[in-house]
Amino acid sequence: MKSAWRLIVHYVRHNFMAALAYRGAFAMQVLGMMLNNVMLLFFWTLLFQRFPLLNGWDLTGVVTIYAIAASGFGLSVVVFGNASWVAALIAGGDLDYYLVLPADPLLHLLVSRMTLPGWGDIFFGLLLYVIAIPTGWQRLPLFILLTVLVAFFFASVGVLTGSLAFWLGQAQELAMQLRNATLSFALYPIDFFPAGVRGVLYTLIPSAFVGSVPARLLLDFDVRWLALLSLVTVGICLLARWVFYRGLRRYASGNLVTTRG
Amino acid sequence: MALRRYAFMARIAARQQLTYRSEFVLRAVSMVIFMGIFMALWRTVYTAQGVTSLSGYTLTTMLWYLAITETIALSTSRIFLEIAETVRSGAVAYTLTRPAPYPLLQLANSLGTTLPRCAINLVTAVIVVGLGVGFQVGSLPGALAALLLDALIAVLIGLLAFWMEEVVPVFWIYQKLLFTVGGLFLPLEFFPDWLRTLSRWLPFNFITYAPARAWVAYDAAFVRETLVGQLLYIGLLALIVAGVWQRARRRLVVQGG
Repeated sequence: MKSAWRLIVHYVRHNFMAALAYRGAFAMQVLGMMLNNVMLLFFWTLLFQRFPLLNGWDLTGVVTIYAIAASGFGLSVVVFGNASWVAALIAGGDLDYYLVLPADPLLHLLVSRMTLPGWGDIFFGLLLYVIAIPTGWQRLPLFILLTVLVAFFFASVGVLTGSLAFWLGQAQELAMQLRNATLSFALYPIDFFPAGVRGVLYTLIPSAFVGSVPARLLLDFDVRWLALLSLVTVGICLLARWVFYRGLRRYASGNLVTTRG
Repeated sequence: MALRRYAFMARIAARQQLTYRSEFVLRAVSMVIFMGIFMALWRTVYTAQGVTSLSGYTLTTMLWYLAITETIALSTSRIFLEIAETVRSGAVAYTLTRPAPYPLLQLANSLGTTLPRCAINLVTAVIVVGLGVGFQVGSLPGALAALLLDALIAVLIGLLAFWMEEVVPVFWIYQKLLFTVGGLFLPLEFFPDWLRTLSRWLPFNFITYAPARAWVAYDAAFVRETLVGQLLYIGLLALIVAGVWQRARRRLVVQGG
């Protein structure tokens, strides 16, 4: 556990320093992503100006969804940047490097890359929390806890979808579509969807757990829902781990010779 | 004669698309998901408000409008990625010896990629929305000009790599301009007056809003106005791309072979 934590911290620091080597590009990506997210909210502000309440959700509710989903997603791609690349790494035979080293291969693989615009998502989420969500400083720790849960959730979805490559070979596009679907649906209040779709969003495409559920928890705290969300998050992490190692048995090295800087 | 060269380039790009058939078809999945979300969202809005028409759109016309804007948005060019990589790696130097200017070649390349994508997205959107709220026939005047306008903007973003380390954020901003003032998520009729007027003057509405509006509510005067706007912006952007390319070439330093 301690060594896993150290691995994460060292990689984050290392990747961050590497990013600072190209300061202009880094700043551009962070600011660009923040502006990008602000403009996405434009649609909702116009919509809620005309209809202040829709199926129990108002603008504050949607802004809360955005804040948590953005900062959680941002944290996952900053710390576990390779979660979006699992399928490509498997198909390309690039797992060899991680398999021969003493660190846990899955964790090592995940933390090896930092997706820089993710910092923009994190800052955007925090900024939204501070200026637009009326829960105040007392609930900031809860916001951070929810962000961390969402980050682990997103990373697990990345591993689960990416692991399809163990069985399908080329699965990059499919994995990307599934990841994008999880994020896209998460940004809409769950009560906007008919019952059948809601069922899917709690199971097959588990968007509810990275959007509406944590947002509602922040605005209207209920310890039972927090327990459920934590349990589901731990569950999907363990499932992702199990599926990855199960698939790894099928993995054959490409004997690819690569150099790593 | 010269046009044949570019048509050839576009054809190669189109054939490349068709080679990776499974990826090509999987793209349609995005369309199904987005249209599913929109159908749920707008049903909620119309039912919750108990109205049949909002800013002149019924639930059916709204969803057909969104089907067209999504069709175009999901087909937009990603050519800037290739251009930026060519500039960064220095490979752009080799393109100078080719018998056609690099930006024009990439424009043709881009259209060859986006046109088949647009076709499959349109078919998917028509099926999904048709099954959801009923089929409707429409025409798409200006869709081709819209894709050309988009391709010009994508080439321009790619050429920015001569001055910027990272051009993808510029693309995000462009994409979100389509989402907002381009009317991708919400028709311009829903905007406050000042914003609608401003949006109509900007080039982005000619890519998403105008073709979709023409599909759901054909009006000859509107279509004429749109075509004029599209042509003017295509001319203007072509001039800008030419100017930027000329300056970019001067920045190019070839260091040995």
